[in-house]
Amino acid sequence: MAVPDKIFSTNASPNILEVEDLRTHFTTDDGVMLAVDGVSFNVGRGRTLALVGESGSGKSVTSHSILRLIQPPGKIVGGRILLRSARLGDIDIARLNERSPMLYRVRGGVVSMIFQEPMTALSPVHTVGNQICEAILLHQPVKAAAAKVLAIDMLDKVGIPDPAHRFQQYPHELSGGMRQRVVIAMALVCRPELLIADEPTTALDVTVQAQVLGLIRSLQREIGCSVLLITHDFGVVAQMADEVAVMNRGRLVEQGSVRAVLKNPQHAYTQALLDALPSRRAAGR
Amino acid sequence: MNAPAKADALLAVTGLSKHFPVMSRGFRPRPVRLIRAVDAISFELAAGESLGLVGESGSGKTTTARCILRAMQPTAGAVIFRREGAAPMDLVKLTDRQLKPLRQHMQMIFQDPFSSLNPRMTVGDIVAEPLRLHGLARGSACDERVVEMLQRVGLEADHRVRYPHAFSGGQRQRIGIARALIMRPALVVCDEATSALDVSMQAQVLDLLKELQQEFRLTYLFVAHNLDVVRNFCDRVAVMRHGKIVEQGETARLFADPQHPYTRLLLSAVPSPDPDVPMNFNVGEELAKLDEAAAGAADGFSSPARA
Repeated sequence: MAVPDKIFSTNASPNILEVEDLRTHFTTDDGVMLAVDGVSFNVGRGRTLALVGESGSGKSVTSHSILRLIQPPGKIVGGRILLRSARLGDIDIARLNERSPMLYRVRGGVVSMIFQEPMTALSPVHTVGNQICEAILLHQPVKAAAAKVLAIDMLDKVGIPDPAHRFQQYPHELSGGMRQRVVIAMALVCRPELLIADEPTTALDVTVQAQVLGLIRSLQREIGCSVLLITHDFGVVAQMADEVAVMNRGRLVEQGSVRAVLKNPQHAYTQALLDALPSRRAAGR
Repeated sequence: MNAPAKADALLAVTGLSKHFPVMSRGFRPRPVRLIRAVDAISFELAAGESLGLVGESGSGKTTTARCILRAMQPTAGAVIFRREGAAPMDLVKLTDRQLKPLRQHMQMIFQDPFSSLNPRMTVGDIVAEPLRLHGLARGSACDERVVEMLQRVGLEADHRVRYPHAFSGGQRQRIGIARALIMRPALVVCDEATSALDVSMQAQVLDLLKELQQEFRLTYLFVAHNLDVVRNFCDRVAVMRHGKIVEQGETARLFADPQHPYTRLLLSAVPSPDPDVPMNFNVGEELAKLDEAAAGAADGFSSPARA
């Protein structure tokens, strides 16, 4: 499977992802926890959807469900996760077998993920280059030497100075911002159609956050991928997303365009979340 | 940017520095250069005031906080602590033994509510520990104060027999606050006290800190990287970069009219929740330019200096 430079939509659907009535439950001794309880949303092709909510609202479980990363006792008990890929056609991820080769082609190939804490997403005992090459060799029909060229090129693209040298370094030798750039390089090197960014900048300083967000935006434009952005920061939502879905206790309480939801929230919970922002509180005083 | 010393300041920090030598490798390590984590900074804190110390990670804010509380021995400078009804004292010069009775007047609230509470101690023991260490209360009197404090921060008396793992992040941060305030300190250093919490929990904890400040007449040194929080919590702000304070002033003034180019850059990088207020994604290049200009002018804003 050759990876095209830019994603040409051979799939007629305007959406890359259609999630319908997704239910992910955790069975514990104390009963069943409805972490995601009937969530439906679409991610438009080339668009950015932000999923916001407090911790425990189920936004990360939603994103993990999309890549089938839910571990027991958690289980996807219902719903449809329809990936309308240009390369692989329409796939219902929720129905794929745990070990199906298709799932492995989807993960990291068509849909890739940036995790919140770069140090846990990176292996401490492999070099940065080794880890990026692994992603390339898994998903693209190239030899090791060509993979190295691709990896160094990608490191350069995410703004890491002296990429050939960094290629040989281990994650602990890099700063937090640099590590997150490596994770982004790893996620985007196979030119995914959908990028899931799970709190990509929560662990970073404002200045580094601005750079990382800028980087995600420019790379998104370059390769034309769609982004599902998980965050609890309405600032990040306002600056990055086209649409927003607000999540509370496993359900979506409100969704719509960023401007409509942030300027004129309809649901009391969204209003309460916005009112908790320090800048809004000051204005209200 | 040193303000003249006021006689009524609870805390007056002058020329505070903390340098870490970097040792060479090899059989006989010797210092090859010096990291100036905190480099001759000065500021004051009046009683009942909140001062925000903001900056990026690595700018020296936490080192400053630790040097003031003498969790670290500063390399140079003076930290004058003036308590009501007591003679002013320079915390830098005191021995550990002289310092111990003063510790009850200065307490710290930590960032991570998970690692700052001992998982093997009950909440009651955690909150009572400072009282016991300083021999201020024991037995039922101690227990009473613990219950009173827990209730004051929004927890319940029953909670004192439980262990920290049974509590959420916000509740744990309340336990940390109870442990700090049970000593009735004059100065409280909050090191990123709300950074680990999400917006609504953060709002609740900030409200609680504000209420407690009025009730106990607390003085806060509020170390944070979230400019939005500082803007609404602190009376004054000091912006740190590379171990120096680049700008300090009244919060409203500093945010409305930042004087230093670094402060302006830092403010422009904050993503606004209003979609019509664009943020600056180009901070990286502008920071680099700023550093180049500073290196050219050699006025000391460049990266940690070599010695």
